[in-house]
Amino acid sequence: MITRRSLGALAALPLLPGAAAAQAFPARELTGIIMWGAGGATDVVARALTPIAERALGQSIVLQNRPGGAGAISVQAVATAAADGHTLLYGAENPQLHKVLGLGQRDYADFFPVNLTARGVAVVVANKDKPWASMKDVVAEAQRNPGRLRMGATGPGGLPHVVGAMINTVTQMRVIAVPFDGEGPGLTALQGGHVDFMPVGLGAAAEHIRAGRVKPLAVVNTEAVPTLPDVPPITADLPGMARLLPWGPFYGVWVRREVPEAARTRLVAAFREAASSEAFTTLMRNAGNIMMNISGEEADAFLRRWQSVTAWTLQEAGAARRSPEEFGIPRP
Amino acid sequence: MTDALSYFLLSWTDPSLLALTAAGTFAGIYIGAIPGLSVTMAVAILISFTFTWSVNPALALIAGVYTGGVYGGSRSAVLLNIPGAPAAIATALDGYPMAQRGEAGRAIGLATVMSVIGGFIGIAALAIAAPAISDIALAVAPRDYLLLALLGLLLVGSLSGESFAKGLFCGALGVALGLVGLDQMTAEPRFTFGTTALMGGIPYVAAMIGFFGVSEALVQLRRPDLPPIRQQVERIVPPWAAVRRHAPLTLRSSLIGVVVGALPGTGGDIAALLAYDSARRTVKAPTHPFGQGAEEGIVAPESANNAAVGGAYIPMLTLGIPGDAVTAVIIGALFIHGLKPGPMLMVETPHLFWFTVGNLTLANIFLLVFGLSGIRVFAKLAEAPRALLVPLILVLSVVGTFAIQNSATDVLWMLGFGVFGYFLRIYGFEVGPVVLGMILGPLMDASYRRAMISAADDPLEFVMGFGESWISGGLAAFCIAVLAQAGLKALRRKRGRA
Repeated sequence: MITRRSLGALAALPLLPGAAAAQAFPARELTGIIMWGAGGATDVVARALTPIAERALGQSIVLQNRPGGAGAISVQAVATAAADGHTLLYGAENPQLHKVLGLGQRDYADFFPVNLTARGVAVVVANKDKPWASMKDVVAEAQRNPGRLRMGATGPGGLPHVVGAMINTVTQMRVIAVPFDGEGPGLTALQGGHVDFMPVGLGAAAEHIRAGRVKPLAVVNTEAVPTLPDVPPITADLPGMARLLPWGPFYGVWVRREVPEAARTRLVAAFREAASSEAFTTLMRNAGNIMMNISGEEADAFLRRWQSVTAWTLQEAGAARRSPEEFGIPRP
Repeated sequence: MTDALSYFLLSWTDPSLLALTAAGTFAGIYIGAIPGLSVTMAVAILISFTFTWSVNPALALIAGVYTGGVYGGSRSAVLLNIPGAPAAIATALDGYPMAQRGEAGRAIGLATVMSVIGGFIGIAALAIAAPAISDIALAVAPRDYLLLALLGLLLVGSLSGESFAKGLFCGALGVALGLVGLDQMTAEPRFTFGTTALMGGIPYVAAMIGFFGVSEALVQLRRPDLPPIRQQVERIVPPWAAVRRHAPLTLRSSLIGVVVGALPGTGGDIAALLAYDSARRTVKAPTHPFGQGAEEGIVAPESANNAAVGGAYIPMLTLGIPGDAVTAVIIGALFIHGLKPGPMLMVETPHLFWFTVGNLTLANIFLLVFGLSGIRVFAKLAEAPRALLVPLILVLSVVGTFAIQNSATDVLWMLGFGVFGYFLRIYGFEVGPVVLGMILGPLMDASYRRAMISAADDPLEFVMGFGESWISGGLAAFCIAVLAQAGLKALRRKRGRA
């Protein structure tokens, strides 16, 4: 044993100065697994954050997109990789709903939040030729013609699905949810008149709103947001929503819980530096996101609250496949 | 106007941008030629790589890689029968038989010239008609995507080889394989047998490499003693007369490429397949029968898939909506570089439009140069003895498949499909329809259900929907006409035989 360890230290000597180098992290290049496809919001966050974190770590991070199963494939891949901190999970909010939607048995409770980077705000947009001026008008029309209005969606657990469920917990509104492959394709269909309205992430819709190609009706927040100062918060028309907010998608970097303390600390520092950089914060601001840049216990608390609010909202709206109770997710 | 011209020429006059476009195109050709290495992946990697650069060099490099990569897939399709990317599947159907005849050089030369012409037509459409085409792209409804997928699937009829029934079986098998995984609409697991490995579906690029590459290698192993095919490498550049003769087909295929490329739900792969199908239906006297090395079988898909590049940029630059997977990644790149890709991009940064048009034009010129040089060396590859060629195909297939997403499971899939494809082939089943079904099945599945859900699950309302727009009506009429024509032909053949 002693021989092997000293051999390792000897081998490391020429590369890294200092006698403790044998235990230094990172020992080699890292792998970053992105749970959504190239070009999406999660991918953009990952690829913008990584070059700066690489510099801080002094090692390169090889990025791979492993989409599929609403993130379940990537979660599985990182959960079964070695717990040495060399495999990172770049993810979004989705795994927090995998249990209640029957997509998987893991969520972020199994992972350590290296950096909970930013969160987004949702906005409800409508086709620009619709006569609606506010969320109230949409609800009124949906109630006049139940099951006729078309809402753009992205499948179960997606942002439109959750926001739709939230609206349904405070008022009755029956619409057709047409699922698309993502927010982008949904917004495209909205502009082509194939759906009537859609709740989407502000980042995806901001430029289309600015150009007047889609009509913003409400931001899903308790107050107006700086990017869209003239758009009323959804609570103006539906005050009951207030107890579910703030709510939105989020992006971050995780490793397995079992990763040793030293590696965690090193990663947290590197990604904190990356997420505080001017270039990155500007990018996030432009995308309409709110910077978080938190980690560890603070991030865990946020993740638990998010899961409890969302899972129970889905349960109340009858959209959950399995009750949050089964998994011990507390009521908000 | 002079502003537009100066932005157009920016990358032509700046030596570093010129060099980057050239390097990008060159690298793109070889990335595209290696099965499994996709342009989407290459561009995504470049984004991290060019994060600290300013935006113009990054875009010049990306335009080069994109243009070169879409073309590169044809190389391995012609030489080894392994399409470097799904957009080159149709090219393999006639390109590989040409190589088997000793005309690999001519096939690659033709593919190069047609790719460049298609590329130019795509750029012209981008420069002249971008707003009009993006309006059409937006008007295309889910029910229209259903019809497009259906049109593509009709190609099964002509890919079936000796027996239509066997072709139909293979096409249906492909559609079924494409269903495996989490359903994209309800996230319901389909045919996953409770495993996480199957949740993401069966990777169709791995299947494509197995069905085309590995099964071909295995078929060749049956006759290891056959002498290698002597390749003629004298006349590589297609003569002017041939280019002129193919001109109407080139134009038609390129227009298909532009429109299908501009549609947000479809890209170069489906453009190439639709163009190939339309060529089979409209060209009366091909140089050889289709599927046995017809030049037209290279002209149509190659001009279409490169025209689709210009097409895919159309909604991206005018509306901030990606026309395909690569432009989706480019939108991410623009974001990272502090630009705001969206409908205002053309208003606020108009130079970006002409800069891109200039870049793409330049990349196509480099494509002609790099594409035509080195063919002689490559054509010799097809002359290699089987003892060398077969291991080469196998190694390339394994490495390429692993590169898709560093997954050893994918390699097993690929090898499994290779062996399965081998048995299909020796029993007279064609593998083309299987891959076709895997590509088009999910599009058809999602579009049909999206259209039906939009019609409140009412079949009558669903059918009436086709009367709502001229695009749906026209496409539906066209589908019916094609089916009727095929039906009549079959009927006549039956009578003739009786």
